[in-house]
Amino acid sequence: MCVGCLSRMRPRYKRLVDNIFPSVPQDGLVKNNMEKLTFYALSSPEKLDRIGEYLFQKASRDISRKRNEFVMIAMEAMDQLLVACHAQTLNLFVESYLRIVQKLLESSEPSLQILATQSFVRFSNIEEDTPSYHRRYDFFVSKFSSMCHNNNPNLVTMEMIRMAGIKGIQGVIRKTVSDDLVENIWEPVHMDKIVPSLLFNMHTMKSKTDIVVESGISEEVNDKTDSFSLAESCLRELIGRASFGHVKSVIRPVLKHLDAHHMWVPNVFATQCFRILMFSIQSQYSYAVVETLMTHLDENGNASPKIRTSIADVLSKIIAIAANESVGPTVLEIINSLLTNLRTSVTRRPPSNIGLSESDGENEYREALIHALGEFAAHLPDYQKIEIMMFIMSKVPQFKSSNNPNDLHVQRMCLKSLLMVSTKYSSVQMNATFPQSFLDLLLKTLTASEDEIRFIVLRILHTLLDRHNNAPKLSKATVNITKSEINLEKCSRSDTIFIRKHAQDIYVSIYESLEMTNNTVENVEAVYTTLALICIELLSEETVLDFIRLILSIQELAITNAVLSTQQKFHLHGLVISIMLLVAIVTDLHPLKDYVEKVIEQRKLLSATHLLPELSIHNEVKSASLLPAGVLIEEPELTEALKASGIDITTETGPVLAHRRSWVENTNMSMKGSFTDLSNLDLDSVNSTPAMQRRFSPNEDLSFEAMKRSLMDNPVVRVEQNTRQTQLCDMFRNTSFQDLVAISTASKDEESLHSKITDVFNKVDISNKLSAVETTNQPIPIYETLFPELFAF
Amino acid sequence: MEDYKFLFKVVLVGNAGVGKTCLGMFPPGQGATIGVDFMIKTIEIDNEKVKLQIWDTAGQERFRSITQSYYRSAHALILIYDITSQPTFDCLNDWLREIDEYANNRVLRVLVGNKIDKEDREIPSHVGQDFAQRHDMRYLETSAKQADNVEKLFVQIASELMEQAKSKGISSDSPQSLPFNTRTSKSINDYCCNR
Ligand SMILES: Nc1nc2c(ncn2[C@@H]2O[C@H](COP(=O)(O)OP(=O)(O)OP(=O)(O)O)[C@@H](O)[C@H]2O)c(=O)[nH]1
Ligand SMILES: [Mg+2]
Repeated sequence: MCVGCLSRMRPRYKRLVDNIFPSVPQDGLVKNNMEKLTFYALSSPEKLDRIGEYLFQKASRDISRKRNEFVMIAMEAMDQLLVACHAQTLNLFVESYLRIVQKLLESSEPSLQILATQSFVRFSNIEEDTPSYHRRYDFFVSKFSSMCHNNNPNLVTMEMIRMAGIKGIQGVIRKTVSDDLVENIWEPVHMDKIVPSLLFNMHTMKSKTDIVVESGISEEVNDKTDSFSLAESCLRELIGRASFGHVKSVIRPVLKHLDAHHMWVPNVFATQCFRILMFSIQSQYSYAVVETLMTHLDENGNASPKIRTSIADVLSKIIAIAANESVGPTVLEIINSLLTNLRTSVTRRPPSNIGLSESDGENEYREALIHALGEFAAHLPDYQKIEIMMFIMSKVPQFKSSNNPNDLHVQRMCLKSLLMVSTKYSSVQMNATFPQSFLDLLLKTLTASEDEIRFIVLRILHTLLDRHNNAPKLSKATVNITKSEINLEKCSRSDTIFIRKHAQDIYVSIYESLEMTNNTVENVEAVYTTLALICIELLSEETVLDFIRLILSIQELAITNAVLSTQQKFHLHGLVISIMLLVAIVTDLHPLKDYVEKVIEQRKLLSATHLLPELSIHNEVKSASLLPAGVLIEEPELTEALKASGIDITTETGPVLAHRRSWVENTNMSMKGSFTDLSNLDLDSVNSTPAMQRRFSPNEDLSFEAMKRSLMDNPVVRVEQNTRQTQLCDMFRNTSFQDLVAISTASKDEESLHSKITDVFNKVDISNKLSAVETTNQPIPIYETLFPELFAF
Repeated sequence: MEDYKFLFKVVLVGNAGVGKTCLGMFPPGQGATIGVDFMIKTIEIDNEKVKLQIWDTAGQERFRSITQSYYRSAHALILIYDITSQPTFDCLNDWLREIDEYANNRVLRVLVGNKIDKEDREIPSHVGQDFAQRHDMRYLETSAKQADNVEKLFVQIASELMEQAKSKGISSDSPQSLPFNTRTSKSINDYCCNR
């Protein structure tokens, strides 16, 4: 047989394919023959798979013979056919096509690898009509990832191969991500290659200028983009296409990479990375990133505090982005997780041979967590901030005195977090700021046995009360203040209602907190600020009386208390005079102001400076006696001044006051004896004077036992449990301040009045399962009862 | 027409500097491997062409997470230590733990003591041999520098994998047969190309 016969017997498609190749490779693809081939393929699509197979064979042969120019021509032809043909049969053609691409990628020749990648990228942009269920991209992912790490000694080549690798990965993602039937690109086996490859290029690539300097300018490198930005945009695309279930598949390898490359300390790159992820992810999933990062923090419980601090810091830098998209349960989950980490950090047992620096690191970690919490809260709407504050408050361990220093620590951390959140919140209406249950818990904590805890609670109150930015000016008790220095706004109706409703609870708690023997100057100053803010933000003529009664009671406390130190009593006097002056100024009670100024003058005159601000750790007594005559605020004069100011103290107005014995009346009663008795006494000796205690011994009828008995005997109460509870509360409220003082002063143990009440409640509760407000053992988490609406999601 | 009959994936693992890249006969001058490198090696056994995809992993710790992801689809793992370096031998247990965790449990494992051309041997031959035996591995000592036993290593691996593949015959659901290219998973045998 002759050669000519043979070639004439060759199938048409083979001849058409052969004809597209020039005799000399430099001539490139024979264009009009390529058109013929394309036309043939379009008109006989069933031949497409054979064309593909034949092209593949030719290309394979050329690769092994290193005839690269012909390989390129084959590639070009395949590209054109891919673009031209949209038939169903393309599927089989693609098989041959991808085999060529793979073959080129397997070659050790950089130019062929790059050629293959370029073609593959074009292919990845073609939408195929039918999904290819059986196609696998395993090799491509492996190879492209490997190319991303290319280490060719020639920097230009290296950069080109790495870029090709990134583009290839991008191509695989595009080809697979939209179609679940193809390779599942989100499988760890792929993501564990793709993600680190991208990250590696984002942080290790030498800058383009370095390459240019080291190897001369190259056109390819000076392409529009560099491997860093290419990798970054690929990562953005990847996470942007991730559905909820895939978020973790991407984030986990990111975390692994950052761990392995020790990229938490410093965390510049980690932060950058997570910001990129947060901004590119579909926003409704952004909290999943936060969640995963938090899980990572949990998993790194044993890592050095430095690493944990850094992770928490990254968290704080991205958490705000998630805040906008977070809904009820998520918000609480995030907060809860942060609080749990705080708790864990607090209860962490430091290794025995740990240095100081190490424990310092732990503190920084906690600060970072609290900061993250604040960042998160800051970007939530205000109503959610309240919910968060309530939630945090519900997490504060409630106890009066604990032997476990960890509990105290946890309490402190929770409150610090709460303080952080409160600084991000701006009060508008106080009844919105202080829902009953939140206020109750705050006030309860205000009488905690630790001065530091009380101090934090007072600061929380400052941030929540201070709507007009007066707190900085009122940080210390002072008698040098004028109205013009204060930003005042008329108290709204709802605020008046608020303070009427809660005055008693708030004042009792503040009073009790002042009874604490471990109060420092800072505590008293903070109480001053609190009272000053209440005065400015909430008081009006209607409600000023109760407040004044409280001030008088505080003065009474300073005079009669048996356990406070002399210095502490001085502080109270300083507080009393300062706040009395302020209330006169704020509420425009001029006669009262005149009277208070007279007392101040008197104190100055008699050198009783220890009864005036500044409060200091040790106020020196310069006057002849501790309480010279005329230095106290006295009830008759006060009453006169109030009357002159138009405040009628004999007529009790308003529903709240109606059923309560007046503080002034009681104060009046007790003051009668106390002044004269005390004015000539050394206060220190008072502390140990039994007569004093006897004078304040509890009235039999007012003892808690008696209260309980009367409750049990009351048949009405037995029927209606809620009524019983209310009555008990009322009883407590109606009991005069002085009597309560007496009871608590008389008790030998350190426990506060509040916990006594708790005891009573608890005893009453045992039999009838009252859900008393004071009960500490809640069967269900407090937050669920606090925010049922959040859990309705 | 493909010019080989079988294709296997082989992954090189071991501490940094033990000679993985040299052993795989990768182009010199690239220094320590970063991430993963790749090359093809074609071997002829009994007139049959076997194609090996060699994945050379970085020994450096920081690349561990990406290198591990290459274990899973490997048909053979070559675990290499440097016979002049006790620490590289001591790490073998860690490597085996990793392999157990990330690789297919039926992967062919070969232990290689490299750099036998050097004078300052620290691990006697029989110690390596023992270790290999205890862990059910093949054992070979090589000098990548002088190309001692290197060819033999790959030929042994190729022929063993080929035996395995042949004995499994047409069974398509072999757990080791992870799809390696663009073919349908219904192809006769994933070890084997169609022609
Ligand atoms: N004498 C001697 N030197 C060798 C041998 N094999 C490798 N080396 C040298 O050991 C050094 C490290 O070899 P590589 O092959 O780069 O080591 P590697 O295991 O790939 O290292 P990583 O890529 O960092 O994991 C190089 O300097 C090699 O020249 C050998 O058989 N004998
Ligand atoms: Mg290497």
